[in-house]
Amino acid sequence: MINKINIILLSLFTSWFANANSTDYKYLTLAENLSHPWGIAVIDKDNILFTELSGQLRIIENGVLNPEPIKGIPEVLFAGQGGLSGIILDPEYDSNNTIYLSFSSPDEGKKTNTLEVIRAKLSSGSIEQVETIFKASPSRRTAAHYGAKMAFLDDGTLLITSGDGFNYRESAQYLDNHYGKIIRINSDGSIPKDNPFLENKDARPEIWSYGHRNLQGIVVVDGIVYENEHGPMGGDELNIAEPSKNYGWPAITYGKDYSGATISPFTEKEGMEQPIKYWVPSIAPSGMTYYTGTLFPEWTNSLFISALVPGDVRRLEVSGNIVSEEEILFNDLGRIRDVASSPDGSIILAIDGQNGKLIRVTSR
Amino acid sequence: MMVKTFYLVLSILIATCLVILQETMSNLFWLVSVDMPISIGIFLSTYLDNLMSMNLAGAIPLIVLVAIGFLIAYSVAKIILIWIKVSRSYAYALAGGVAILAIVLLMPLAFYNLDILAGGRSILGKSILTFFGLISGYYFGASLDKQRAT
Repeated sequence: MINKINIILLSLFTSWFANANSTDYKYLTLAENLSHPWGIAVIDKDNILFTELSGQLRIIENGVLNPEPIKGIPEVLFAGQGGLSGIILDPEYDSNNTIYLSFSSPDEGKKTNTLEVIRAKLSSGSIEQVETIFKASPSRRTAAHYGAKMAFLDDGTLLITSGDGFNYRESAQYLDNHYGKIIRINSDGSIPKDNPFLENKDARPEIWSYGHRNLQGIVVVDGIVYENEHGPMGGDELNIAEPSKNYGWPAITYGKDYSGATISPFTEKEGMEQPIKYWVPSIAPSGMTYYTGTLFPEWTNSLFISALVPGDVRRLEVSGNIVSEEEILFNDLGRIRDVASSPDGSIILAIDGQNGKLIRVTSR
Repeated sequence: MMVKTFYLVLSILIATCLVILQETMSNLFWLVSVDMPISIGIFLSTYLDNLMSMNLAGAIPLIVLVAIGFLIAYSVAKIILIWIKVSRSYAYALAGGVAILAIVLLMPLAFYNLDILAGGRSILGKSILTFFGLISGYYFGASLDKQRAT
């Protein structure tokens, strides 16, 4: 009898302890009925820019969605995985109002398309002084695997993820093209003088690292570049990206092709980098942010990766190249396309779909 | 009828095995070109693995796709043979080739120009796959001819 009472008391205590440790949060809907929200750029806690894949740049002003999309966006190819995609603020945005947008851009005749990045100034209700600062080459016939995420390095240069275009996966191993690469350019589109392949006459000078598949998240934390990328069936990766390094796709991979075929029987090779974490089966990682807020102190200094399948956010505790913990969060919202940190410590989520939403996760 | 069904199933199996062989070789040849150490053992184990996973673990079981393609193509060939006197072997060979080519060409239309069968991305790959379809169809037609002769 005493034993039974002890067991009951112990389970009650364990349950109370678990609840006391679980993070208490709530969802606030910032905007709904959105058309495939894709990329988020937080200006401040009440002002948020975001893209809709179908081609609109939208803004939440003083906490309220402006019903009018921002004008002046160039023509985008909205098909397959293509459309208006990434967005990032200039590091000096407060003084220059400059933003950067990535999108799939149709070529003349529209039989082919490519990844394009523009720089523009945001003024009231429109973007102005639009300049193309990068166009991936060669163009593609497919509407998939653009990458299209961006991050600034501490030296002010811009990293752009450029996906393998699906049908062109082998090109990720060659330096004469932009498929499956991380690109590094100056914010005006010029090429930094210390890019790693400038001396290689056969290489595109914008290439910073190669052997990637479809990179959907990139953040810079204390000078370390974390990037995540979709694997095929299985083999999604979190990597620490470094200049001139080869990340192996498709010569090494932990995934299989959608047909079930083995793309490569190898998972490692000398001269090719290993992920610091990989997922089999796939979680379809999308956006990524590094949380430094204090609203949820137990999450401070964690990497947050949004995932499309089955739809959640992975909180990772990362120290150098060691991932010590993975926690699954927000798995009741559907496919999560992007995740961003707000200066007030809340977390902003873009929920994918034809009737997508922007959600703020805040304390209860 | 039983014998015809047996020949039909066998021709579908032959085509499926050959398509998987082409997919395997296409991937492994490229790996050889970037100095990955592909041995006979790795080739055989990859092929055997593909035989299983392309039929059981892929997005669409390959054997089902081939079966649908062959059933449609063979039915059309059978109808055409009523009016046009031509060797069955050649008629079914053509049907088999067209069936595989149609699979390779139509699948990208359903997937935003994405080639789900990576081995069929190039013209050479498409030609080899079509040839394998011809062989499988020829086997079916020749078997029917042989059965009729006996």
